[in-house]
Amino acid sequence: LVCSSGSCVSLRRVGTWIESAENEKTEKNCVSVCVQEQQVAPSRNHIGRVNRNCHTSSILTPNDKENAQRMTREELTEVILKLLVAWREPLWHFEQRLRPQSLETSDRAAQVGRMVHEVRSGVQRVAQKMQMLGMIGNFVSGLSSPEAQAPSESSEWQLLQNWDLLHCLRRDANKVQNYLKILKCRIVPEYGC
Amino acid sequence: MFCGANPRWTSQLCYPLSSIMTVSSKYSPLLFVCSLLFTPGCAFLFDWVDTASSAPLVPHFTECISREMATFSCWWSTGSFQNISSPEDLKVFYERKSPGKTDRNECPQYNYLNQECFFDANHTTAWDTYCLELHVHNVTYANEDDCFTLPYIVIPDPPVALNWTLLNLSPSGLSYDVLVSWKPPPSADVKSGWMRVEYELQYRELNSTKWKNLEIQYDPQQTIYGLHVGREYEVHIRSKMKAFVKFGEFSKSIFIQIEGSGDDGTSFPVMLALIFGISGIFIIIMFIVVSQHQRLIMILLPPVPAPKIKGIDSELLKKGKLEELNLILSGGGMGGLSAHAPDFYQDEPWVEFIEVDIDGADSSEKEDNQGSDTQRLLALSQQVGNHMHIGSSNATCFPDDDSGRASCYDLDHPDQDPLIPMATLLPGQPEDREASADRDQTTAPQTWVNTDFYAQVSNVMPSGGVVLSPGQQLRAQENQEDAKKGSKKETCDDNAKDIHFQLLVVDPENTEIKQNSTPSTSPVSNEGYQTVPLQTVDPNPIEEQQSPYILTPDSPQSPPFTPVADYTVVQEVDSQHSLLLNPPPQQQAPPPSCQSQHPLKSLPAMPVDYITPDLFGHLSQ
Repeated sequence: LVCSSGSCVSLRRVGTWIESAENEKTEKNCVSVCVQEQQVAPSRNHIGRVNRNCHTSSILTPNDKENAQRMTREELTEVILKLLVAWREPLWHFEQRLRPQSLETSDRAAQVGRMVHEVRSGVQRVAQKMQMLGMIGNFVSGLSSPEAQAPSESSEWQLLQNWDLLHCLRRDANKVQNYLKILKCRIVPEYGC
Repeated sequence: MFCGANPRWTSQLCYPLSSIMTVSSKYSPLLFVCSLLFTPGCAFLFDWVDTASSAPLVPHFTECISREMATFSCWWSTGSFQNISSPEDLKVFYERKSPGKTDRNECPQYNYLNQECFFDANHTTAWDTYCLELHVHNVTYANEDDCFTLPYIVIPDPPVALNWTLLNLSPSGLSYDVLVSWKPPPSADVKSGWMRVEYELQYRELNSTKWKNLEIQYDPQQTIYGLHVGREYEVHIRSKMKAFVKFGEFSKSIFIQIEGSGDDGTSFPVMLALIFGISGIFIIIMFIVVSQHQRLIMILLPPVPAPKIKGIDSELLKKGKLEELNLILSGGGMGGLSAHAPDFYQDEPWVEFIEVDIDGADSSEKEDNQGSDTQRLLALSQQVGNHMHIGSSNATCFPDDDSGRASCYDLDHPDQDPLIPMATLLPGQPEDREASADRDQTTAPQTWVNTDFYAQVSNVMPSGGVVLSPGQQLRAQENQEDAKKGSKKETCDDNAKDIHFQLLVVDPENTEIKQNSTPSTSPVSNEGYQTVPLQTVDPNPIEEQQSPYILTPDSPQSPPFTPVADYTVVQEVDSQHSLLLNPPPQQQAPPPSCQSQHPLKSLPAMPVDYITPDLFGHLSQ
């Protein structure tokens, strides 16, 4: 799994979640949404002019360094969790969507599907652990499995095409990774900060 | 898109050719060279050159770079427009698209000298989409490619403060390992975790042009293994954002060298010692192998046990213990081989056995009980005799009186007495005599004599010779002659008393006998037989024995006789120990009185079997 161009989200057990953001040397722990540029991005910087409205746009996230550093640990953790939980269901459906792919793109689709599955399961574990540790309060309702939970919130993500969904996932994964790193360097600065 | 086809390519390569003239030092040296030369050979670097060169180049942005993910700058180019003199002719606008809002602003900080638009930290937000536009003479030049988000344009500065330390030196003193360490770029806020920077180290020998890449890693230190003493190495490092593709420029190079005495100086004695050691070990091994040759052969190649037949000792065969081998083979020993060997003649393996087809004779008997039995037997005996004689050209067979089977011996053995092949002297019936005689004449080795089917042994000589009685015809003649003299009754009794028997010895070597025998001549007789000087047996004791088998062919000596056949075969023995003999053939009508009164019964028309020794013993009693 080569993280050539994409955000790398590493989700491991919450007990070692501090290391998770930094343990990205081993790519096997790293879940990356590696979008092939020639496939989806005609533009030079892979964006395009269209403003994609990801379904996680409603979540307030710090967009610069100062704001991120100004936030407390708990707030940062909350943001992280919100993002992760918001992506559980779309990831599951995206995985389902990628399964009946044609043989041409089966490799890539399978790869993405595997990545999506890993991210989802990682998010699940993190959320459960944090709930067990009492680090989260208000998200209990959102931590159940997507299969059991009815899609109550607006299913904006369902309107997104594959590429848009991947772009959104990539952006949010990068956010989560940055926030995790900030948290880690704040808590244990001696580990690779 | 060509840039996307190879994500490893930097964005510098994707710029139009015209912009190369305004290139700054941050472009790659290769591109710079290409721009100076302006050769078509550089066209392969830019796949879209054809399309770009055909159209007039409009003002556009060349690149946007952020060094620390907090600020960024964008550079533009005017293209082929030449009439842009004042700064007011060109403006930069941008749209920033956040979730839920979109704002449009002008470039916060212009630098017309560098044709650069700088966005400071207040105007820079990560994860928002920026789209830049150029306004030249109220004309908007916007491009789809000019939209980006901040993480994608981040190119970190190269690391600083490179240094190296010696980790260890090899025992040979020829190679060593080095630990290179550095510091992250000062502009990148790695400490707070805002930026995650990766590094790639490259090193090479000074006199070579090829760089060796080490694995991209996150730690600001790396070990280089296997450097050679005495050689100088160059090391430089470049950095990039983790999970992104764009590499920064290389850092300043450092040089690594460890002074050594050189390769040849230290290696030569070591090599010499190695060679001596190996050769010494080899000599020792060879010495061991040669001295312990046999033992090694036994260990490595154990001898395969030879096959052995169970129960048979090969030593027996060597020593010639034939009897034991015979015992084993005949099944007498444990696990014997064959159980079908006849038990009688274990000691005499040279004995041959005649097997008469009794079944065929019996079946034929049922069909025709008349005189054809004799014919069949004659044929059978002929076959047997032929077989016996032909089959064993060197063997001479004679019937063993005791067992009724013929015993054959090899003529090559000079110590054995020349005996008559009795089986071949089977006398044929009168009607068949011709046939048999014909056969006798045609086949030379045949020893058929024109005798009756059976030849009675008159006497057995001490030397082993056998005296046979003459044929039936002779007897008939004699009977006819005698019949004139006396009554039958008397002759019967007289015969019983005065039966003289004389054995004939026919020399098997004398073929004249056989050939000379004619069917018609009843003197098949003594002339046909060659007598060996034997003492004639006193008929009296024979008479006492009442042996019907001993007959005398001697016509002058023969007493008045009744037409009795020269042999008698015991048909059966009744309760009174009287013998029922087979009646003689058709020429002679047995005197019925003789049959009833005399214990010597008339001969049956057809001999059935020989008398067995134990039965013979009964007869003598």
